[in-house]
Amino acid sequence: MTDPWWISLIKAFLIINLLLLLFAYMTWVERKVLARMQLRYGPNRVGPFGLLQPIADLIKLIRKESFFPASAVDVLYIAAPVFSSFTALAAFSVIPFGPGWHIWKWNVSGEVANLPIALVVIFALSSLGIYGFIVGGWASDSKYALLGSMRTCAQMVSYEVSLTFAVLGVVLMGQSLSLVDIVQKQASTFWFFGPQFVGLVVFFVAGVAETNRPPFDLPEADTELVAGYHTEYSGMRFGLFQMGEYVNMITLSALAVTLFFGGWYGPWAPLGPLWFLLKLFVILFLFLWLRATLPRLRYDQLMRVGWKVLLPAATINAVVTAALVVAL
Amino acid sequence: MAGNILVWIVWVVAALACLGSGIAVITFSNPFYSALSLIGNLASLAVLYLLLSAEFVAAAQVLVYAGAVMVMFLFVIAYLGGRADAPWAGGPSWQALGAVAASAALLVEVIVVIGLKSSGRLSHSARVDFFYGRPYEIGRLFLTDHLLAFEITSIVLLIAAVGGVILGSHSRETQ
Repeated sequence: MTDPWWISLIKAFLIINLLLLLFAYMTWVERKVLARMQLRYGPNRVGPFGLLQPIADLIKLIRKESFFPASAVDVLYIAAPVFSSFTALAAFSVIPFGPGWHIWKWNVSGEVANLPIALVVIFALSSLGIYGFIVGGWASDSKYALLGSMRTCAQMVSYEVSLTFAVLGVVLMGQSLSLVDIVQKQASTFWFFGPQFVGLVVFFVAGVAETNRPPFDLPEADTELVAGYHTEYSGMRFGLFQMGEYVNMITLSALAVTLFFGGWYGPWAPLGPLWFLLKLFVILFLFLWLRATLPRLRYDQLMRVGWKVLLPAATINAVVTAALVVAL
Repeated sequence: MAGNILVWIVWVVAALACLGSGIAVITFSNPFYSALSLIGNLASLAVLYLLLSAEFVAAAQVLVYAGAVMVMFLFVIAYLGGRADAPWAGGPSWQALGAVAASAALLVEVIVVIGLKSSGRLSHSARVDFFYGRPYEIGRLFLTDHLLAFEITSIVLLIAAVGGVILGSHSRETQ
């Protein structure tokens, strides 16, 4: 059932480019949606409906002079954004987006790598991704960047615990750590967002915090910290950090679709990846909606929500699910 | 055969990275670099686990040690600011003695293992089948053969968590 290595390579190439395209147009969609919610037009000068705006942004970022503080630690300063965007992209490799196809004489599975421990791999990669932010902030040798990276660190460590606990219920019900197995289990029984509603809510809130999106964007609170850990970054290095953030957001949304909403299966019509994309867009829209609606939390509120609300809720949910799975 | 050579190359690179980063941990004068080297050490260790077809252990190693534990190290070091000590200046003499004793014990262990292996008395290797290293198999072993060790570990971790809470609440009262 495993693909030849070159099929995996082609799939990896396609997925990375699709992700980058999705990232580029997420910035456009975000600006458009935010603008319409605030009764503005948003980008509408570059191309029809401003559709070429992401490309113009990219050219601007690449051509910009990338100056950096004289006291910055060179190697770490340059490596940090590369590292965080790499872990973000790599995490998507285990997300299944289709049932698998039979093309000519090869079976092509619907994910780059089908691992029995896919879920652990995603969390491992996302926990490594934190280092890009911490090291980048530290290596910049600037107080705003350092404070931003300290906040990122505290926030991501706190919410990672809840995020991991929130999916325990799904793992117990799916009886597997493999994302393909979990999707198949949902197809043969029911989608897990119903019985795991508490898990879904905790997962989503913790996911918003984990990707540093508003209302949990304290690490880059522009009123206090200029831009947080990437204050001293410019040009494409800043672009890579931004890419890491958006790709993380896409991966988390894809994980939510996989774990709670039946992956590539739809209520009718076997459209495969199209259903997956549709559900992905709905969840991504929720991220943007939150940004347009809610003000930023205070730091003490952030810690209280993480440790005193989300973590107990996720723990109780996991314990109750375990008891029910054994009893039923 | 090509796959075998690839495994050897990966093993050599990972083992050298392991040794190199381990030496880097104790030679850097800046604790931030030492912590980063320790992360590199844990990551290359995970690669070695992968070569032993223990995928779950490798991923858990990265998730728990390289990910969660080392983040706290880096957090504290970056927060307190790096205090640069000369790494070879040496601490109290009992520390040096302890270090020498520990490395001597490790050296003896390595020599014993190599001796056993070369004399053929360490010949039974693990049966690596489909279930080897899978989460299902590891969970089954935890709840059957190694139940006592598993439960004692959980109690130790619980005590550590309670201790952390007590330490934290104590310092808040005195402020």
